Amino acid sequence: MNGNKIRTFMEILYNCPFILLVIVTSILFGLLSDGGGNGRNEHSIAVSQLLGDEVKASADERNPSKGNDIITKDGRDTKNGEEEKAENGTAQEDKTLQNAGARKENNDKIENDSERKEDTADSGKRENMGQMEKRATEFVEYEPVETNSRYYSDAGKVALTTAYDYVLENESYFNDAAFLGDSRTLGISDYAGLAGADFFCDNGMTIYKLLGDDGVTYQKTGEKVDLKVILQEKHYGKIYIMLGMNELGYGDTPMYLKQYLKVIRQIKEWQPGVIIYVMANLHVSQEKNNIETEFNNININDKNVASARLANGKDVFYLDCNPLFTDEEGYLQADLTFDGVHLYAQHYDKWRDFLFEHGVEREEVQQAEANGQPEGLEKMGVKNGENASQ
Amino acid sequence: MLFSSVGFLFRFLPIFIIIYIALPKYRNIVLLIGSLIFYGVGEPYFVLLLLLSVSMNYLISCYMFWEPRSPQTNRKLKAARRKKRALVLAVTLDLSVLFVFKYWDFAAGSINMFAGKGCLPLLTLALPLGISFYTFQMLSYQIDCYRGTIVRRVDLISFATYVCMFPQLIAGPIVRYSEVADRMAFRRVRIRDLENGLKLFTLGLGLKVLLANQIGTLWNLIMSAGAGRLHPLVAWLGAFAYSFQIYFDFWGYSVMAMGLGKMLGFSIPRNFDHPYTSRSLSEFWRRWHMTLGSWFKEYVYIPLGGSRKGNGRTVVNLFVVWALTGLWHGADWNFVLWGIVFFLLLSLEKRTFGKSLEKSLVLGHIYTVLLIPVTWVIFAITDMGQLAGYLGNLAGYHREEILVGITQLLRYLKEYGLLLIACVIFATPLPAKLYWKWKDRWFTVLILLGIFWWSVREIVLGSNNPFLYFRF
Repeated sequence: MNGNKIRTFMEILYNCPFILLVIVTSILFGLLSDGGGNGRNEHSIAVSQLLGDEVKASADERNPSKGNDIITKDGRDTKNGEEEKAENGTAQEDKTLQNAGARKENNDKIENDSERKEDTADSGKRENMGQMEKRATEFVEYEPVETNSRYYSDAGKVALTTAYDYVLENESYFNDAAFLGDSRTLGISDYAGLAGADFFCDNGMTIYKLLGDDGVTYQKTGEKVDLKVILQEKHYGKIYIMLGMNELGYGDTPMYLKQYLKVIRQIKEWQPGVIIYVMANLHVSQEKNNIETEFNNININDKNVASARLANGKDVFYLDCNPLFTDEEGYLQADLTFDGVHLYAQHYDKWRDFLFEHGVEREEVQQAEANGQPEGLEKMGVKNGENASQ
Repeated sequence: MLFSSVGFLFRFLPIFIIIYIALPKYRNIVLLIGSLIFYGVGEPYFVLLLLLSVSMNYLISCYMFWEPRSPQTNRKLKAARRKKRALVLAVTLDLSVLFVFKYWDFAAGSINMFAGKGCLPLLTLALPLGISFYTFQMLSYQIDCYRGTIVRRVDLISFATYVCMFPQLIAGPIVRYSEVADRMAFRRVRIRDLENGLKLFTLGLGLKVLLANQIGTLWNLIMSAGAGRLHPLVAWLGAFAYSFQIYFDFWGYSVMAMGLGKMLGFSIPRNFDHPYTSRSLSEFWRRWHMTLGSWFKEYVYIPLGGSRKGNGRTVVNLFVVWALTGLWHGADWNFVLWGIVFFLLLSLEKRTFGKSLEKSLVLGHIYTVLLIPVTWVIFAITDMGQLAGYLGNLAGYHREEILVGITQLLRYLKEYGLLLIACVIFATPLPAKLYWKWKDRWFTVLILLGIFWWSVREIVLGSNNPFLYFRF
């Protein structure tokens, strides 16, 4: 009897090796990915907590009402200011940390309040014409909607192109320019006709992979290159970054902001005096917009607002190309796109003209650079020496 | 729910199979409930439409078999009349539902276009998943009842299970009741069938996820650049990419359905027989979506008289069949155009060079390999202006300067070269031949396991991050 049972069992084993293998591997992978998944979640929560604080800290420092005197006294950041800052560097850092610690204990409501205050301050700032206005990115507020996603929340505001006295340029402006980005940048490379610029872009590129070891395709040669090496060897006058699409479903917005910040910091370190353009992520069409997933314009806007905060109107500028291509509701116009994401090739010249219209004179930037450490990042309250290439 | 989703692979399928095996006496009802859950997860409202459709059709088919107790004169005549009435009712009902949901907006829009705006209101209804498939399946059932192919009344559960069973509910094949009738009454689930079914399913999954989805990104890339200003070679590359995408997508789905059917103890008919190796378009349509082709032949073409009523009538019949085939695939003018193109080409083949093509060794293959991608381009592009632009590009004509040229072509080839080669190989009968030869070898099992997990990896990456699948 027992022998029979064993024989039947062996027969079953013999007859369905594939099913058994699939079941066994499923259980194995299930166990593995469960462990991994939990670990990742914890990590991401920790990171976002840390980041939420950093973002808040940065907001505080940009916010005149919270008493940060360095930028409010004089938007141009005098040499004195810089020195003072350098002297008080450690003290300030401590302060930031303390702030961060205090804020961690606060509950969500208070954080929300502070965010709201900050936003009102932003709009208030817009009304006060002055030096400040040139320096910061402006936001237009709206009533945010409830979102339920681990990837994003509704920012409740839209970032505008950094206010600045841009000048109209021509193609020669791009002879010392580099474009870093994903498939949409590839579109600019292919169809905007900016032959002088260097394009480093790949389908599926993200801010997390940009300075990574896998490399990015240099469009002039079609070879994969390591941007870490390129950016240290060759000096560019302007660097255009356009990313954010492939990050919509990876990590949350604070994590995205932190990485973006690191990348910009790193680039500034390697490219002293460079003008960095943070380009807005193009919205998607109404058809493609899906509230059920993380693939929608609320998320895109959330990422855009985050990256716009990095602009300082001095050497980092935020360019919002969305008004060129979207309808009143902010959707990418259906007749400009096949897949709801990418523009048809023929419309890239509009984008190119937009870039032409946003030239930045170099003298002022160089002057700012002569003052020492690029200070836009100091404001963000991030410590020096962190490596961006994670 | 899609077969190629984590929810189906790791939740629905294992739980369902265990219950299905554990309750051998209630297989039909378990399958029916399982199928309704499968459908209802994705279409919580339209599952009601499905249920309503099924019950109405069942009532009508009951009426068809209904025999009054009291002895009557002209009994046979009355029964025949009753059957006819019932059939007309069923066909009207099924086609009306299909028309309202699938064709109303197209018809109303077209009428508005000719008769001036606002003549008829648009409904903008969502298309219930699989409605074209299950409607055709129920129609075939009603016609078979009318014709006497199905001789006696089927019980409600069997009928509902036949229409709704999840392996073929959403994307075919269109199964006829006679093909599953005996299995519906009794079926065994042997361990060998489970094993072979899962293997087949895995193959289909691989075709869909690893070939169709991947090559689809190339077509998307080229169309994103915009039809009208493509280098002819790029346009042809796009046409081939789309041809592969639609084939592996549909074939993969059909193979998955066959595999699932096998696991459940059914034998679901084959839907594709390596159509791209055909030597003429007539042969292509004998091998592409075979269950639809035979449906139209059986229930439309032959009842209309087929080719037995003279040449003129044959041409008319062919036209009707192909216009309907075009419309079945989608409610838009490009689908009608697509059907009519096939009508013209097939009529031409029938009259003139068809026979000699099928006899030739090379010429026939060149003919189909070049023509079929063009027909798929007509199928794929709904916008008439873009379609004209793309067809012009295929012919080397472009109104404005080329935007997507050799540079992009080389990049596409570099990126998709290997995948294209894989697609070509899988379009031939070779992989299937090798599979059936070495089906039970240990290395086949390992390769299948690799295909399974590779597909799952792609699905997980794609569902956690749909953008990776689209790869912006």
